[in-house]
Amino acid sequence: MLVNTGIQFDPQTVNLFKQISIKMIQERDVSIMLWKDQYKLGVPVIDAQHKELFRRVDSFLQVLRSRDSWDKKIPQINETLEFMKRYVVEHFHDEEEYQKSINYPGYEAHKKIHDGMVNYVQEVCKQYENSNSNEPLMQQFGGRLLAWLINHVAAEDQLIAAYAKKKGVSGSDK
Amino acid sequence: MINNLYKTFVDATRNVFNLMLHLSEVSDHPGEDCKCDDEVDIAVSIVGDLEGEVIYRFPVPTSLNMVNIMSGMQFEAVDDFVTSAISEIANIISGNVLTELSASDLKCDRLPPVQRKPDEDPNKDKEYELKTSCRINTSIGEVGLEIRLNRV
Repeated sequence: MLVNTGIQFDPQTVNLFKQISIKMIQERDVSIMLWKDQYKLGVPVIDAQHKELFRRVDSFLQVLRSRDSWDKKIPQINETLEFMKRYVVEHFHDEEEYQKSINYPGYEAHKKIHDGMVNYVQEVCKQYENSNSNEPLMQQFGGRLLAWLINHVAAEDQLIAAYAKKKGVSGSDK
Repeated sequence: MINNLYKTFVDATRNVFNLMLHLSEVSDHPGEDCKCDDEVDIAVSIVGDLEGEVIYRFPVPTSLNMVNIMSGMQFEAVDDFVTSAISEIANIISGNVLTELSASDLKCDRLPPVQRKPDEDPNKDKEYELKTSCRINTSIGEVGLEIRLNRV
């Protein structure tokens, strides 16, 4: 696995780190209002990442919708946005790798949906920076992100789970 | 397929409401409008083999209930967040309809949803081959659907 520094890590070490982080996420006492057990795919690595994504979006929305002044919210909003930019790309990549590993026939279409969302997140972040932390832009982003994420996990991603079950590879964390 | 467009839109709405909002009882009433004083109208333009638009009319209480279910938070008024969330739902329903249409060799695309004021409807008097509307009833309120499309 190549990272920005150009260092090549041993794949086994990378996998070990991934397993540890999945376990940490699973064991964390999370109370996520947005998360519902019906969103689970039965693929541990993806389910753990989904849960983390929902947890982050949940905390983003709590800040976004709190009664505090916008100036007070900005540091937390910025922090979550930075995370989202990185995590969305990482999660989509891992999910796409999983789809390839099970020869999921909807891979190309699913990747297109992911790419569209990545572009949207990056574009909004750019606009937000250029606008000097514009609140209406962030409220619009929050509303769309909420609906998009729920639909994507409740509908699009469930198709992967259905295919994996049909092929007898569900529960695999390849 | 164009004859079944009404059913395709209603079915897509029902599926999205079921999956995203966990609403199991959704009924449609062809030719009837929403009975509300204040609403958020979202127009999604369609281009390609079919051209026109679909207007989703979300009464304010329905809009607030929808966002409440998705977020687990209470909303007291329609703001940028609420409008954006329900616009995305209109976008998702329209996208699902277009996927269905593509299976029948009708290639269409949609433009990003736009909010339109109910009294500012530039296409109200335009002629359409398919012009139909309905009221959709759910346990959290009504939604209006107006489909206006021409075959190209």
